[in-house]
Amino acid sequence: MQAQSIYIDHPSALHQLNPLTKLTFTLVFLVAAFALPNAVALIATFVLILVPLAASGGLLLPLLRSAFWLVLPFAISLALIQGFFSPGQTALFSLGPFTMTLEGLGSGLTFAARLLLALGGTLLLMLSTRPDKLMLALRQRGLPESLSYIVLTALQIFPRFQERARTILDAQKSRGLETEVGLLRRLALLVPLIAPLVLGSIVEVEERAMALEARAFSYKTIKTSWISLEDSRAQSILRAAILFFGVVLVYLRLTGFWPQ
Amino acid sequence: MIEFRDFSYRYPTAAADSLSSLSLQIPRGQFCAVVGANGAGKSTFCFAASGFIPHFFRGEAHGSVELAGKPLAEAEFGSLAAEVGIVFQNPFNQISGARFTVREEIAFGLENLGVERGEMQTRIQLALEVVDLVDVAERSPFELSGGQQQRVALASMFAMRPQVLVLDEPTSQLDPRGTREVFRAIAALSEAGTTIILAGHKLEWLAEFADRAILLDQGRVIADGDPDTIFAMETMGEVGVGRTQFTDVAAAAQRAGMLKDHAALPVTLAQAEAFFS
Repeated sequence: MQAQSIYIDHPSALHQLNPLTKLTFTLVFLVAAFALPNAVALIATFVLILVPLAASGGLLLPLLRSAFWLVLPFAISLALIQGFFSPGQTALFSLGPFTMTLEGLGSGLTFAARLLLALGGTLLLMLSTRPDKLMLALRQRGLPESLSYIVLTALQIFPRFQERARTILDAQKSRGLETEVGLLRRLALLVPLIAPLVLGSIVEVEERAMALEARAFSYKTIKTSWISLEDSRAQSILRAAILFFGVVLVYLRLTGFWPQ
Repeated sequence: MIEFRDFSYRYPTAAADSLSSLSLQIPRGQFCAVVGANGAGKSTFCFAASGFIPHFFRGEAHGSVELAGKPLAEAEFGSLAAEVGIVFQNPFNQISGARFTVREEIAFGLENLGVERGEMQTRIQLALEVVDLVDVAERSPFELSGGQQQRVALASMFAMRPQVLVLDEPTSQLDPRGTREVFRAIAALSEAGTTIILAGHKLEWLAEFADRAILLDQGRVIADGDPDTIFAMETMGEVGVGRTQFTDVAAAAQRAGMLKDHAALPVTLAQAEAFFS
């Protein structure tokens, strides 16, 4: 196993930012994803703000690749469900008793754009921030150690699951299980994968909890830190400005400033 | 000193005790091997010696386990890590996942103990040197081999400066090379004055380094003494542990009348060479 997170090291200003500054960016992207009124505004925010930020950190391709593969299945299912089942005036085509409408399709794609922006904002944080530094930043702001560790493990859960699933699949392949098959057969393959994946993870949780206790995790003292974080007044102002922008977005949304 | 005083323990859902009426002392600085078949109580012994029983595993405990005269059950669990370190079987699951390099991984326990940065630096460097990991200090612990990961776990414990280091089958998942690396690192920690309690099956290695061996069977101590003597006993086979190939070959040679009866049976390769020469 190479890493326990999707963080990509790169000598960029984005990487040097205090994790709290990046977390603030992410929070406002999440707010924007649900406050902005339509797909155009959402995509514009993604392209004009998130994409340049990712590019500045040398993370554009990994971010786009991850966001695309994660959003695609939701985008397709949302477009189909909303397109066929939401009320609309403009019929595009019919499939048996169901009619795809332009309004429904638009609504589905808008929801997919919301997901894209929310996910993109989260990926920007995860790709550019070492989880341990984020944990330290949160701890320094008063978050309990155990809670900050939960945040850390939540950030690591996908790579860990991927690695474990790959190991189980390799083991099953070596015993003759065919995995290079069609989609339906692949879905059936999830059954022998999920049981060892879940059970193995439960065992791992206990072993990890014991290992943490052995490393004095619950020792009651003022903890020190080997790694250090950089912060500045300029970053504090930037965080305040971003948060203010987020509050404005929520206000505009709640007051019905934007047409729905 | 660790002392078991008439200690018995039963896991919550178990029908029988995993440890029964154990009474023994392990003096400071001793390297004590704990051997026995699977299910004999080795891991339970390790958990009791490190305070995980009764703090982490509940169950039913009688008697006491004391460190320097203080019962572990009465100590605060969090603070025990500073006194007794423990290394488990699976090297991978002992990596905290919270740090990016080996050096930072070793620092993790020290941060939790509130050790100042300057002192941390000294302890980490010494730990890296003792377990011979200086060359990989800036690499991710997840990029290392199993043997190296286990040595990271050892270094992490050593840096915390516990009086006692308990190791529960630390080489059971390692290849011969990893086993050799880990045993050498444990020997170095022992030479540095740490009390070592090591549960395992690799008798050749244990005989080479341990000062004392405790043989467990069904939660009871059935032999306690010099490792070479205990590992060569016929009882080892009867309790499901077996003896090393060197011992078996030498015993067969004796039975066949090829060698003198009174010579002590060898356990390690070096002893076998001396025995047969």
